[in-house]
Amino acid sequence: MALGVDKIDDEYLVSAQVVVPGEVSSMKGGAGQSPVTLFQAKGATMNDAIRNLALVSPRTGYFGHLQIVVIGESMAQEGIASILDYLSRYYEIRSDFYLLVAKETAAEKVLNIQTVLERIPANNIFNILHTSEHRLSNTRAVTLANLIVDLEREGKEGVLTGIYIIGDEESGSSKQNVESITPTAQLKLDGIAVFKEDKLVGWLTDEEGKAYNIITDKVKNTLGTLSCPEGGKVNVHVDSLTSKLKNTIVDGKPEIEIDIQISGNIGEIDCEIDVTKEETIKMLEKTYEEQVEKNVNETIQVVQNDFQSDIFGFGAAIHQSNPKEWKKIKNQWDTEFSEIKVTVKAKVNIRHFGTVNNPIQENIKD
Amino acid sequence: MKKTPLNLELQENIQHIKKKLGESTDIVIREIRIGKEGTFKVGIFYIDGLSNTPSLQNFVMETLMIDISISQTENEESPNSNLMKALKDYALTVGEIKDVANFEDLFTALLSGDVILLVDGYSDGLIIGNKHVIERGVTEPSAQSVIRGPRDGFSENVRVNTALIRRRIKDPSLWMESKEIGRLTKTTVAIMYIHGVADDKIVKELHSRLDRIDIDGILESGNIEEFIQDSQYSPFPTVYNTERPDVVAAALLEGRIAILVDGTPFVLIVPVLFVQFFQSSEDYYQRAIMGSLIRLLRFFAFGISMLAPALFVAVITFHHEIIPPALLISIAAQREGVPFPAFVEAVIMEITFEILREAGLRMPRVIGSAMSIVGAFVIGTAAVEAGIISAAMVIVVSITAISSFVSPTYDIAIASRILRFLFMGIAASFGLFGIMVALIALILHLTSLSSFGVPYMAPIAPYSASGQKDTFIRMPIWKLLSRPKYISKNSDRQKYSAPTRKDKKGADV
Repeated sequence: MALGVDKIDDEYLVSAQVVVPGEVSSMKGGAGQSPVTLFQAKGATMNDAIRNLALVSPRTGYFGHLQIVVIGESMAQEGIASILDYLSRYYEIRSDFYLLVAKETAAEKVLNIQTVLERIPANNIFNILHTSEHRLSNTRAVTLANLIVDLEREGKEGVLTGIYIIGDEESGSSKQNVESITPTAQLKLDGIAVFKEDKLVGWLTDEEGKAYNIITDKVKNTLGTLSCPEGGKVNVHVDSLTSKLKNTIVDGKPEIEIDIQISGNIGEIDCEIDVTKEETIKMLEKTYEEQVEKNVNETIQVVQNDFQSDIFGFGAAIHQSNPKEWKKIKNQWDTEFSEIKVTVKAKVNIRHFGTVNNPIQENIKD
Repeated sequence: MKKTPLNLELQENIQHIKKKLGESTDIVIREIRIGKEGTFKVGIFYIDGLSNTPSLQNFVMETLMIDISISQTENEESPNSNLMKALKDYALTVGEIKDVANFEDLFTALLSGDVILLVDGYSDGLIIGNKHVIERGVTEPSAQSVIRGPRDGFSENVRVNTALIRRRIKDPSLWMESKEIGRLTKTTVAIMYIHGVADDKIVKELHSRLDRIDIDGILESGNIEEFIQDSQYSPFPTVYNTERPDVVAAALLEGRIAILVDGTPFVLIVPVLFVQFFQSSEDYYQRAIMGSLIRLLRFFAFGISMLAPALFVAVITFHHEIIPPALLISIAAQREGVPFPAFVEAVIMEITFEILREAGLRMPRVIGSAMSIVGAFVIGTAAVEAGIISAAMVIVVSITAISSFVSPTYDIAIASRILRFLFMGIAASFGLFGIMVALIALILHLTSLSSFGVPYMAPIAPYSASGQKDTFIRMPIWKLLSRPKYISKNSDRQKYSAPTRKDKKGADV
């Protein structure tokens, strides 16, 4: 169900998380064993390591239902091309599973944590990725196919979501981990791993991750938190967000314009404002627009300055709309990218207030 | 064949008949004398049990022995020449009378229950129609029952059956031709069709096929079917059979030909199309939407009953990747303790089911309930608990079994039963790829079939646009303007008569 890949002293360490069917079936109680087991093997190459799993596993591995592949952070820093090649070449493996990077830990450790609700940890991670992408849009569920397309495309670099262990890594493997209400070790998605070519170069924070999703037009549902003029917060529940990349060439230098259209509802008000007045709404819209623009601009700057990796696909956009110009600049695109001028324009439209009008707080005080 | 003429001497005839029949004990030979002075020696022959004895006494014996002796006078003038004609014209108060001049015809009539009357000194006799068949009567068909529709079914008597059809189609163009097939059984086989609607070429072809049959006995229409069907070794039937008169009437109206065989309630219909086996008479009695949906359901169920175990075996054996992960885990958990590969498992279950089905059919009805308990228990719970079969397989086999009963005709269900095993074997060896190849082969086979010159897969292949109105779905009756194109050349079925509609004001137009 899940594979973890680490590199230890030039050798690949593959950890395969395998389901124990008898344990997860709904029919019988099972023998109280763990629902999954972890087989590990080393090899000079990825394939070699996978074959070596036969030395520890009584059954041939079946990868048709691979749900996630976790790559150790150190491995990711060295390059993941060899893994991707194996995963896409082997006929049994489909290309629609998700890849993640184990943040500040090894992949084998991530796969060694028992989880609740979804008893199979691989499914657990898979579903967390799914829900967080749909509900929060801070992270990005990247399938093998997506990643390879991103990496191979001119003027575009790849990202993966990071996964992080909260709590005690060592105790996570035992069944006791899921026996208490608060597990001693839990998995959490954390940040977006920025790749340059096939190497991990750095991490985006959650807010930056959201900005990344906004720029690449992948936000399905998210939340914007705004400050009121007189202190306090307002939440905007975004239910539709589209962004468009436009590029122009000014004096031989490409320029990017990002046009963001947001529409949403008010999700929560924690300050004294009168939302029944049009000005208030206008004001909120304006605040949110500024905030989005700021967040996006900052994120672009971080990526431009710290990573020089065009994860937003600016290059690809230029390539698409202006292939001639792209030919001229593509060889020094990395430097061009870090100098490119980006203008961000956001347009927010708040449509509903939820089921009440003015904040409850206001009425309580009366 | 040369026929032996009757003798002049009554005694010689009696001796000959006795000798021929081996002095069988159910032959009744009665010698009487009729006429005023008892001038004429008359022999009456009949078979006890086949002839109607009370009517024989009332209308034959009584007339001959009492009435004639009183009103003899007008015949005495020319006694020798025309006694037979006189008897026929004046004396016998019976509906059906025929002359007989040779022993062959005499025996056929005698053995079908008619009364034979021979007179001493005459070399011909009379066949007096007096059959009395013990029969079941018109009862509800057991194999093809409907919820809405007529409840009468054919019986074993061909005369009753033809009457049931005549009662539905009261038109002089409903023609009937009879044959006797079977050297010993001399079974009456009647061909019914609507002249001008049925294709004459097919009628002719049917006659020639029936005439070719030279066998000692025909006991059921199945015997005839095997002689006249087009595809001898195909699992698919190319002759339709039914025990419902309304189905036959509908088929005749479409231009098909019915073959009725004495002694069986199953009437054959030719030519037949593949889709016809999925059409029930009820489709036309229910409202069009329901009829169409049910018909689509039947095609779907046919697919299931043919392919479900094969698909399951293929997926379990080769194509794990198309099962959703959660289901795969569940199936894997079930199969954990099962010692056999999926194919062996499927074959065990299917054969068990076939045995149960066959046993259920043949067994005395009283034991039926005991049987069903054992069957359900063995197939269901016990086999799973014993770890021989996985629970998923039980589900697959059950849905297959149930689907195979959906088909309104038994014959096509048999085809799917046979093919099911073939498909399972192919699935176990070649997976879904094999199933696809086998399906293509099956379609090739189906399109190669024909029934009395009519392409079996019509109106799908060859395609007929108007035929689509009544193939997978059934359009409302008023839209079915023409007869099936490939069956009847006379396509003019009805004038377009739109049903009553409301105009905008709500009044009937």
